Amino acid sequence: MTDDTIRNFCIIAHIDHGKSTLADRILQLTGAVSDREMRDQILDSMDLERERGITIKAQAVRVHYTAADGVTYQLNLIDTPGHVDFSYEVSRSLAACEGALLVVDASQGIEAQTLANVYLAIESDLEIIPVLNKIDLPQADPELHGRAVADLIGDDPDNVLRISAKTGEGIADVLEAIVARIPPPTGDPDGPTRALIFDSVYDQYRGVVAFVRVVDGSLRTGDKLFAMQTGLQITADQIGIMSPRMVPVPVLNAGETGYIVTGLKSVGDLRVGDTLTRASHRAAEALPGYRDVKPMVFCGLFPVDADDYPDLRDALEKLSLNDASLVWEPETSQALGFGFRCGFLGLLHMDIVRERLEREYDLELLATTPNVEYQVRTTSGEEIEVHSPAELPAPNSIEIVREPYVRCTVLVPQEHIGAVMELCQERRGTFVTMEPIENRQQIVYDMPLAEIVMDFYDQLKSRTRGYASLDYDLVGYRESPLVKLDVLLAGDPVDALSMIVHKDLAYARGKALVERLQKTIPRQMFEVPIQAAIGGKIIARETVKAKRKDVLAKCYGGDISRKRKLLERQKEGKKRMKQVGRIEVPQEAFLSVLTIQDNGKK
Amino acid sequence: MIGGARTAPHPADATQGALPMDPVRHLYVHLPFCHHRCGYCAFVVETGGLDRRDAYLDAVIDEITHRRRELGALDTVYLGGGTPALMRPRRIARLLDAVADITAPDAEVTMEANPESVDAAQLEAFRAAGVTRLSVGAQSLRPHVLSALDRRATPAQVEGAVRCARRAGFRSISVDLLFGVPGQTADDVRADIDRVLDLGVDHVSWYELELKPGSALTRAGTHLPDEDDVADAYEAIVDALVAAGFEWYETANFARPGHRARHNVAYWRGRDHAGVGVGAVGTHGATRRRNAPGVDRYVAAVRDDGAAPHSREALSPATRRREAWMLGLRLREGVDMREVGEPDDVRALDDLVDAGMVHRDGSRVRLSHRARFVGNAVAGRLMDFGA
Repeated sequence: MTDDTIRNFCIIAHIDHGKSTLADRILQLTGAVSDREMRDQILDSMDLERERGITIKAQAVRVHYTAADGVTYQLNLIDTPGHVDFSYEVSRSLAACEGALLVVDASQGIEAQTLANVYLAIESDLEIIPVLNKIDLPQADPELHGRAVADLIGDDPDNVLRISAKTGEGIADVLEAIVARIPPPTGDPDGPTRALIFDSVYDQYRGVVAFVRVVDGSLRTGDKLFAMQTGLQITADQIGIMSPRMVPVPVLNAGETGYIVTGLKSVGDLRVGDTLTRASHRAAEALPGYRDVKPMVFCGLFPVDADDYPDLRDALEKLSLNDASLVWEPETSQALGFGFRCGFLGLLHMDIVRERLEREYDLELLATTPNVEYQVRTTSGEEIEVHSPAELPAPNSIEIVREPYVRCTVLVPQEHIGAVMELCQERRGTFVTMEPIENRQQIVYDMPLAEIVMDFYDQLKSRTRGYASLDYDLVGYRESPLVKLDVLLAGDPVDALSMIVHKDLAYARGKALVERLQKTIPRQMFEVPIQAAIGGKIIARETVKAKRKDVLAKCYGGDISRKRKLLERQKEGKKRMKQVGRIEVPQEAFLSVLTIQDNGKK
Repeated sequence: MIGGARTAPHPADATQGALPMDPVRHLYVHLPFCHHRCGYCAFVVETGGLDRRDAYLDAVIDEITHRRRELGALDTVYLGGGTPALMRPRRIARLLDAVADITAPDAEVTMEANPESVDAAQLEAFRAAGVTRLSVGAQSLRPHVLSALDRRATPAQVEGAVRCARRAGFRSISVDLLFGVPGQTADDVRADIDRVLDLGVDHVSWYELELKPGSALTRAGTHLPDEDDVADAYEAIVDALVAAGFEWYETANFARPGHRARHNVAYWRGRDHAGVGVGAVGTHGATRRRNAPGVDRYVAAVRDDGAAPHSREALSPATRRREAWMLGLRLREGVDMREVGEPDDVRALDDLVDAGMVHRDGSRVRLSHRARFVGNAVAGRLMDFGA
């Protein structure tokens, strides 16, 4: 029998619905953090997370709470990432819990990503405690949203807690509900050890630190452990709990969560979702649910200054230590020189990595248009994976091309259904279902991931005045008639501007792209023709006219320094440009493809 | 990509620092008083306080005396402003007398004149005082363009001033004009061209309006006209003036044969020059000197020990070479690489020659007709201004 005073839970919430603030209050109320130590959103320890208001890395925090029944409980709060890119990590976090707080903003209601995570929690048999947060806001509508949340999880509206994490109102009720409603962990304390790795971080002094939930048996400092999926053997150099700082303990028993210092050099060595068992006394079967996480979105990252190439490699190596889902390999572009083709879990992951490279490693980077992974069967019967347009074989040696499809769920108020469906159709979506949820409609389409990777989300937001929320999940690869669209500047193909597009959309995309480039590329000393081509056939053309004049003002003795400084500033501006042959191309041009509009629509 | 540009000095820069300091043969004197600050103006100008003119003139003469060692036989003197004519002929005569002993017999002595500030008698007196060349600030001959620029002179006053100047016997008469003015149409430009040609002047400076920080137009959030319209206007100006027998000898300047502005040509050839008076700038060898603005402070400081308050900018050999290219390419004849050194990017020079933007004849490099409209871009290609 496991300890029945343990409660393992997580918080499911949409970005900005108050997860971190609620976590802060729980830490404060249980005395885990003194008021003096309290700073906002203590669990989001990375700057970037704080600024973006999202949590990337899960952590498990142990607090002790003496409930109304007089018993002191051990509560383990397991933090979950809030974004679709990290849904696998969410599923592993959920697997480490018996219950979840579903936190919904009382003024906004449920969002698509919350919905997706709620379904994951229901599938994992978690006890869900619905909580309406921000009831102190004047625009809060706890009646409406409370009913909808109760409907969603099949609960009584009276069981929906109403709180304000900001003011602290109702937090004690949350703690009581955790104790009363969430079941204690089950598992075999005397069986062979099985511990689920639900997250890991790299620490430069300790090496890889794994966060685990002990399901069966126990873990002790010094144990020789065996990772059942990867077959890796490790030593538990130290075992401990977070409260919220690292506190070593001699043993972690079944039902408990904590950390293991492994001394490993890269988080890639120890996979999230893997099961740790004792090397000398192995469990027969691993815990279920392990999946190898594969990158879904790829782009080229090139240093603006070619001399920074070794620094970029070092920075990617360092980031990889802490991010097992980031993959990269060297890439050479005729236009952009030496760089790396990188794979990410999704667009947000890509943005985060790029921002960290620029901010933490002080690198100026040029990112090419992101693309997805294509599967190609050549006419000789060979199956290849294509991660960049340059890798796509010549049309006559392609038998078929398959592209990843996602099931895409959009939650939107009634009046925007038309706009959403129109957008999904334009982007090659196939309608699946539509049903009302709360006071909104849930619209489900199967769509090529490549279309989502374009500016789908921005378009969705702008066409629904910000009301739509989006979630998607990979459903597999489907055959599509895809072609490579090339862009030529002054007659020379620029590999970094190529893209893979659906045959039927190629003309419209090519036209929109050259129009966009024409607006992005500044006038140069020479006329610059911009062409879009498919297999050598030009399908669209625009021209950047030659620059006709500079400032033709006077330049006398008193003006010389000023004029020189003007040229120096121009040179500074040019550093943000990439010289492609004779042409200076601004960096944003390489992202133009992302923002082209279909059929000239706004 | 130019490797190691930051560390290895350009071969052309190696010897320039050691050149002997020749005496300066070009003198600029700033006379800042104005009745009114025009809309585009961001010069060092004093509106009002005309009672300080004598004190200011004394100070200018004292500064010249104090800096006498810098000056050699003056080939050109330029009296700029402000509105130099507000100094009245007797003060201009005193000033020119003070440098008469070092002024070469055939020196060019230019004075700027605002049309509304001069009459026939005064112009004759300026001529008698030793001014040989008059630069009349017209800016436009279209009333609504003058009004957009907040100019006080009328087109009739401009024409009057030029007529009187001609009678007074100045060797050269120039007019200043502006294009690229908001609201100035192609027809306005055409009309200005016609009337300027009718004036029968020897020299024309035709500048694009710039929104300099500190001018009233800039503060008012003025938008400049479309690039193509402005380019059309300037092409029309160049074509018309060249067709009428003017030489387009510098980016923004046109002269009848024998009437180039010698003083300004000295700037463009990178010759040393001295600047005297408030806000005046001079370059001597590797140093650029900039006098501080503020008439009262200037007068007090010069009275105190003869030295005007000023700042200095050290010009590295590379900077001087880059400036020499930047300025020299403004001239029709371009630069001589034996004088100014090689460009930073020799390959770019070859590319530009191949593209017909630059003509090279031995060591001489000059811009093609079309490239003269985009001289900054060409200079930016050839020289690594960021280094």
